[in-house]
Amino acid sequence: MMTEDNRTNGTGPERSTSPVLEASDVTREFGDVTVLRDVSVGLEPGTLTALVGPNGSGKTTLLRVLCGLLAPSSGEVSYHGPEVSRKIGYVQQQPAFRPEFSVQETIEFYTALVDAEPEEPLDRVGLTAAASRRVDSLSGGMTRLLGVAQATVGDPPVVVMDEPATGLDPGMRRRTFEVARSLASDGAAVLVSSHDMTLVEEYAEHVLVLDGGEVVAADSPGALCAEQEADSLWDGFEDIVEGPADELAVLGVNR
Amino acid sequence: MTHAQAIQAIVARELATVVRTRSYWVLLLGTAVAIFGLALAGGGPEAGYLPTAVDLRLPMELLVPALAVALGYPTIVADARRGELDVFDTYPLPSWGYVFGVYLGRALAMAAFLVIPLTILAGYVATTAETDAALIATHQGADSIALFARFAVLTLLFGFAILAVVLAASALAWSRRSAVVLAVLVFGGVVLGLDLFVLRGFGGELVGTDSLTGALALSPTSAYRGLLFESVLSSAIETDQQYAAPIASVVGLLCWTILSLGVTTVAVTRR
Repeated sequence: MMTEDNRTNGTGPERSTSPVLEASDVTREFGDVTVLRDVSVGLEPGTLTALVGPNGSGKTTLLRVLCGLLAPSSGEVSYHGPEVSRKIGYVQQQPAFRPEFSVQETIEFYTALVDAEPEEPLDRVGLTAAASRRVDSLSGGMTRLLGVAQATVGDPPVVVMDEPATGLDPGMRRRTFEVARSLASDGAAVLVSSHDMTLVEEYAEHVLVLDGGEVVAADSPGALCAEQEADSLWDGFEDIVEGPADELAVLGVNR
Repeated sequence: MTHAQAIQAIVARELATVVRTRSYWVLLLGTAVAIFGLALAGGGPEAGYLPTAVDLRLPMELLVPALAVALGYPTIVADARRGELDVFDTYPLPSWGYVFGVYLGRALAMAAFLVIPLTILAGYVATTAETDAALIATHQGADSIALFARFAVLTLLFGFAILAVVLAASALAWSRRSAVVLAVLVFGGVVLGLDLFVLRGFGGELVGTDSLTGALALSPTSAYRGLLFESVLSSAIETDQQYAAPIASVVGLLCWTILSLGVTTVAVTRR
């Protein structure tokens, strides 16, 4: 359950650095399996935070709990941002839209839900030139960008993206992170889950490492590397997580 | 931003989806051909509006639910499978608003699917009927276009109720395939099964003669049939016998509609 406390005005030139979205001691269970265990995180306005962790570590579950799409089994998620019509923008792992519509019509539909202008979201992700194309004729990367555009509709103070760059070519991956970076520069608290340590190291200001449903490290990429005495975030990540970082973690099963 | 504007956007999206889906045009054509074919086969159009309504009554009991299944089953389950219901949760769009918008959009489409062929058929009756029909039936046995309009309105009311049940099936389904199965179960169970259950209850004396007219309101098909007999076909037949309880039948159809939309809203909220 998400609580609200609009004590700060999270966006604008005098924005606060206190978290706009905060999870406190969040545990999430699915039957006998504990997917998240006592997770506490805070997302600050104007900051791009990356959520990294092996497959099956609970990243998607955490993102869904933060967005209010899943209720935590215990703990609390609280929103402290400005009172706006849309508080959190969300890009699911595989964004999909009704195939009968064009890019422009799709974004117009979403903007109609919050009474916003459709031009800005498309312009932000660079899809203006493809506005007249049908959604089902878009490449996977362009569909992801449309998903990101959708997440920015209504200028939500928090934007959450679930592996928006996975499966894309290097150029598209970089483009996705650039968009995330620009959203953070405009004052949003942006949380992106990713497996691409190179881009995370390059673009993110804060990194949360999730392993076995717990946050095992949280700091800037540089500080994490320094703590692990690693040359790169990837090397540091391998040292932080239990077991091989490229192996599927199955929660509820001992490694 | 009000909920009304968001609901309007949902309604417009549903209508645009129907208009842009080629298979729905085929469905509209098929519906029109079926309505015309059945009416012409019965010979009703040459005799007037009331005979045409008599010819269409029984086929409509099957055609309208089939149309509701075709229009309603893919809607909510498809949005859920694409993850759009999750995305909607991040917008100021309550679950009831989404459900109401989807229902309204599909109901308008269904109205068009039925009203267009029926209007053309009424025009055909007006030009081919051998007997003169008045605008309003002024006495027992008189034919009028108003009776045919009443038939169309009651058919829509029946269709809207079944559409709401189909949407509930779509919201409860976990895949497009399961939505088809559930929609077929709605067709078999609610449309045919419940109707037969009430009639069998009467035959087996579970339902008494005194309570039969009220019991008929429990089944959407029986309620629709009862309303047609009471308010359309009764003008052709002079009798003291009451076919159905009109108010109970209308309440029955409204209850099916409202309760089904309630189930749909709960199912969407809990997804």
